[in-house]
Amino acid sequence: MQSNINTGRTRELGIGETEIEKRGLKLNFDAPLTTVASIDDAVGAGFGDGSLTFFRPGLAPVTHKIHEGVILCMAKHKNGLISGGDDGRFLAIKQNGDITEIAVFGTKWVDCVAASDEIVACSSGSDVHLFEHGKSDGKVFKHQSTVGGLAFDKKGQRLAVAHYEGVTIWERSKRRWKSTRLFWKGSHGNVSFSPDGKYIVTTMQENSVHGWRLRDKGDLAMSGYPAKVKSLDWVGDTPFLATSGADEAICWPFDGKFGPMERSPVCVAHNRKKLATFVRGLPGEEAVFAGFQDGAVLLAKLDEEKKAIAIRGSTNAEVSGIAVSNCGSHILIGDIAGNVLWAPLWA
Amino acid sequence: MQTNNQVPVTVLTGFLGAGKTTLLNRILTEQHGQKYAVIVNEFGEEGIDNDLVVDADEEVFEMNNGCICCTVRGDLIRILGGLMKRADQLDAIIVETTGLADPAPVAQTFFVDQDVADRTKLDAIVTVADAVHLQDQLGEHHEAEEQIAFADVILLNKTDLVETSGLESVEKRIRKINPYAKIIKTAHCTAPLTEVLGLDAFSLERILEVEPDFLDSDHDHEHDDDVTSVSYISEEPLDLEKFQAWFGKLLQTHGQDILRSKGILDFAGIDDRYVFQGVHMLMDASPMGAWPKEKKKSSRVVFIGRNLDSMNLKEGFDGCKAT
Repeated sequence: MQSNINTGRTRELGIGETEIEKRGLKLNFDAPLTTVASIDDAVGAGFGDGSLTFFRPGLAPVTHKIHEGVILCMAKHKNGLISGGDDGRFLAIKQNGDITEIAVFGTKWVDCVAASDEIVACSSGSDVHLFEHGKSDGKVFKHQSTVGGLAFDKKGQRLAVAHYEGVTIWERSKRRWKSTRLFWKGSHGNVSFSPDGKYIVTTMQENSVHGWRLRDKGDLAMSGYPAKVKSLDWVGDTPFLATSGADEAICWPFDGKFGPMERSPVCVAHNRKKLATFVRGLPGEEAVFAGFQDGAVLLAKLDEEKKAIAIRGSTNAEVSGIAVSNCGSHILIGDIAGNVLWAPLWA
Repeated sequence: MQTNNQVPVTVLTGFLGAGKTTLLNRILTEQHGQKYAVIVNEFGEEGIDNDLVVDADEEVFEMNNGCICCTVRGDLIRILGGLMKRADQLDAIIVETTGLADPAPVAQTFFVDQDVADRTKLDAIVTVADAVHLQDQLGEHHEAEEQIAFADVILLNKTDLVETSGLESVEKRIRKINPYAKIIKTAHCTAPLTEVLGLDAFSLERILEVEPDFLDSDHDHEHDDDVTSVSYISEEPLDLEKFQAWFGKLLQTHGQDILRSKGILDFAGIDDRYVFQGVHMLMDASPMGAWPKEKKKSSRVVFIGRNLDSMNLKEGFDGCKAT
């Protein structure tokens, strides 16, 4: 699909400033945007200098310095955030900026975090530490190699841990957590449960995405990407798994009995040869935001016949985060040069 | 913010007790005003005096890409990625490996991971060798041979503790394994830092500048070293297609045994010099400008590896001649 942005001018200069940018707030921070999370109508943006900025509709952004070094990861927990940093600290941050230190790991980085309603978890090296509501001393789950990604299922009953050669799923039974291994050669990074909890997917060190059907541990290999897949998100009711790693958003259908097996992905938001580096679904719609290595962001319906809409013009710095407020009113886009756009999506 | 600069990464290898940490601490104390990140292994001998020290665990894993010898350092991908998210620009990154580490996965990480390759560049592999014990270590541990074979710079340390004749024989032994590396003799790792850092040894341009030390005595069977090197020169131009076919097949079938390969090639009908370098099966190659007027066109290749005798390298290389 060729989108409407492929005019003579944009071919040379990238995509120009969009209407959404003109009515939004454009800021430059002194460090790369590293991670984003939506909480209610607010969005939290984490940066490489350890600062966290909350963006709320109609209010000025508020910045809190929370880590000494890079904020490596964040997740929503209740109506605040949890974060991990290269200062070895695992923190909980309320929207008013109050910080609680959940754990400290010294010189070891806190690489991944995840939260359910009751539990917060983080990884440091090959260990995953669990802290249950009201209990101060955490459980530790050990793994063979460094953890690449962490994710709870919707109910918080299962925790998926991605590492070298597959995923370990920790499932809560009455008294303890039981583990199951899913094997696939290679190194696994981001991990995510499908919204219905029936599938697990990971991004890999190789240019591919791997999935398992949990009912029978069936493998789903999704390959053919020209670059490493850095980002994925579940989109719409089907649902589709939207992924980066190509010059458009590659969206795999996960409906029916066998999901994407033997089926082609829907490919939308084509941006002239530029690689997509970040994808995020538009809440409540079958549409995806794709952020590119040149800083541009397009919004596309998951329909290859429809044209994509330019949301943000090129900044010449890779898009490293996109978050939409939960009600879908505002969008935050940031890149590795610290450029941030916060704007209402609708005029 | 600048994001386009590639941060140079120097890899420090060497056996336990050779003097890696001494060198590292010297680099860190002498380079004032430079911002370095140091990635150390968990079992470091002494303390490192730097603000930014990252613990690594040397996690080597196989790529699932059909390349059987393609192992990479997973922890390096993660840590370099994390360091690139910092607000301040680093001047250099130094990776210290454990004494028994194989340097190949470290080097291969820079060929295989696109993000690592985009944001950082492998500057050089610097191996610290103990002049007293190297001979024994080479016989006993294949890792010692690999560390010499992969090195761009070899800091031959503790030379004050060895007789002149002993030093000569150690040097000769090193040369047999690796004719390309620069050998710096020191007593206490006191090499000028400009000869250790900022070498750009893995850039293709550098290959043009470094003349390998070719061996004068062809075969010395005093020590049956596992890792050896061979080099060939052709005054006649080569045929591009013939070379590609031969070299491609060679790396495919013997890539596991070929630790490093380098070359400057003169192809018939092509004005530019063609330069390549490889680590096992992975290769980087590109045309590199016209031949200098004062220099006679010729093709040179160097292979460092195991079982080189069994690969019919001379016949293969000669078979690439255009005539």
